[in-house]
Amino acid sequence: MIAGARLAASRRVSGLVGVILTGFCSALAAGLLILILGYVVVQGWGAINPAFLTQLPHPVGVSGGGVANGIVGTLIIVALAMLMAVPVGVLTGLYLAIYGRGLTAECVRFLAEVLSGVPSIAIGLFAYTILVQPFRHFSGLSAAFAFAILMLPLMIRTSEEAIRGVPTAIREGALALGLPDYGGVIHVVLPAARPLIVTGLLLAIARVTGETAPLLFTAFGSEFWELNPGNPMATLAMQIFKYAISPYDDWHRQAWGGALLLILAVLVLNVGARWALRGRAKRS
Amino acid sequence: MLALQPALAATQLTGAGSTFVYPFFSKAFYTYSQQHSDVTVNYQSIGSGGGIQQFTAKTVDFGASDVPMNADELKRAGAPVVQVPVALGGEAITYNLPVSIPGGLRLTREVVADIFLGKISRWNDAALEKLNPRAQLPNLPIVTVHRSDGSGTTYIFTDFLSNVSKEWKDKVGTGKSVQWPGNNTVGGKGNEGVAGQVRQTSGAIGYVELAYAIENKMSTAQLENKSGKWLFCTESTVKTAAATKPNVSATDFSIVDRSGDNAYPISGYTWAFVYESPTDKVRGKMVKDVLSWVTGDDAQKIAGSLNYVPLPPSVQETAKKALAEVKV
Repeated sequence: MIAGARLAASRRVSGLVGVILTGFCSALAAGLLILILGYVVVQGWGAINPAFLTQLPHPVGVSGGGVANGIVGTLIIVALAMLMAVPVGVLTGLYLAIYGRGLTAECVRFLAEVLSGVPSIAIGLFAYTILVQPFRHFSGLSAAFAFAILMLPLMIRTSEEAIRGVPTAIREGALALGLPDYGGVIHVVLPAARPLIVTGLLLAIARVTGETAPLLFTAFGSEFWELNPGNPMATLAMQIFKYAISPYDDWHRQAWGGALLLILAVLVLNVGARWALRGRAKRS
Repeated sequence: MLALQPALAATQLTGAGSTFVYPFFSKAFYTYSQQHSDVTVNYQSIGSGGGIQQFTAKTVDFGASDVPMNADELKRAGAPVVQVPVALGGEAITYNLPVSIPGGLRLTREVVADIFLGKISRWNDAALEKLNPRAQLPNLPIVTVHRSDGSGTTYIFTDFLSNVSKEWKDKVGTGKSVQWPGNNTVGGKGNEGVAGQVRQTSGAIGYVELAYAIENKMSTAQLENKSGKWLFCTESTVKTAAATKPNVSATDFSIVDRSGDNAYPISGYTWAFVYESPTDKVRGKMVKDVLSWVTGDDAQKIAGSLNYVPLPPSVQETAKKALAEVKV
């Protein structure tokens, strides 16, 4: 009996240690995140004003100016990347969820998995090799291409899971009502899967918005307004990189402001992704 | 939106390379685009090495480097290249110490070499105390800051070191990127990066184009030149050094370690590259116009206001002749 009580006591102690340890680590992780967010807000808040959001960068060492061209460039490049990644990603997901069988589907799935682990700088180099060097021109388009490749694995995986999550009975019901197979997929399966696909898309956008490495040899950067994606373009992430390593105090300030903008954008995207999912949870 | 219209219709020319010249180019091209609504010049300061590489890959309309392309690089370019001197600037030795040194830190050329060789590794080294008897030099390790990327600024600096120290010449040599000796050395990307590193590191010493040192209010050292005179890097001392060699060319360009009472020992020209026969004649003509303007009096006046030295008339003439070879 005494041995049993001792065992129970030691279990209680190890249980307590477990709770404290996991609790401490969770607090540490959450605390670090809050610290980073708080630090960026404190450092970046002062930099954000109308001029920062609407003006072009000033020449080196001249204080003032803004990152408006970087904001616009980032929006254009991400939008173009979306246009490329969404059709390919959703259709691949559809293939894997409904039609793909056997070795071929396994290969596609495996390759998508591998692609998600390729460093973004390597993808940037790839975009440089096939879109910049042959055409002899840095461009926003080549950056969008690199971003699209980065978005693809996530788009494929979430689309496949979203479509797989739609019960087969629903698709069969559509067939029973006389819809052809493609009609069932387009009018019934895809709409049902949409919230999850949108979630995946928003997370994919959040993933690439802050990427800098693939932009260095694709978008290249610019100090001017550039709305033509065939030309080199400014992006917020590259401006932060350039400003942060510079020796100028005003540029440091603007780098923090830019970092705050990026974090806010990613935050909005994540909240949006949750919101898209909530609608689905209510329905089911 | 109306205000955007001219800019949207403008042709964007792209250049890349030297960070040494970036503060000047940045201001000059900003001014140029204000005067010419049909052209914007997008110059990215990726370093001289990167500039030569992208120029060779033909991904940019022009390249810029603080050392002309050498025979090997010219061969790789695949077609005849015209090299144009576009700017003249000095390199300051800048340092970060917790104590202020009245009159500025004094360094002989040999001591600079020994510091970057790692042979003098603490600030209170006897050699430094002897040169700076009135300063309270701290017992701090010396952190040398160099360029991590291929750099013309590095070329000019190592050219200077090779001139003044046989040991440097034999062990390390001259180049856009070299194997840095010494245990306590860190790299920075671009002149911006080196200036940033020096500013953030107590006990650091590095080499940057003068504009970077002045704009960031960094301490610069007084150097003893070949004629035994103590000089700061200033517009006037760099100008004097350049005046000792009025005729420079892409194969004979070095102006480091010159003799003369007022000749600062570390300075050099930035060179822009264009292909002699550009494939796109319209863009080629625009680049030629831009570079003619850059080497002209108006733009060189801008350079003077940013702590560069306006190109001497003889070098402006060299630039003009070089540009005349561009067939557009």
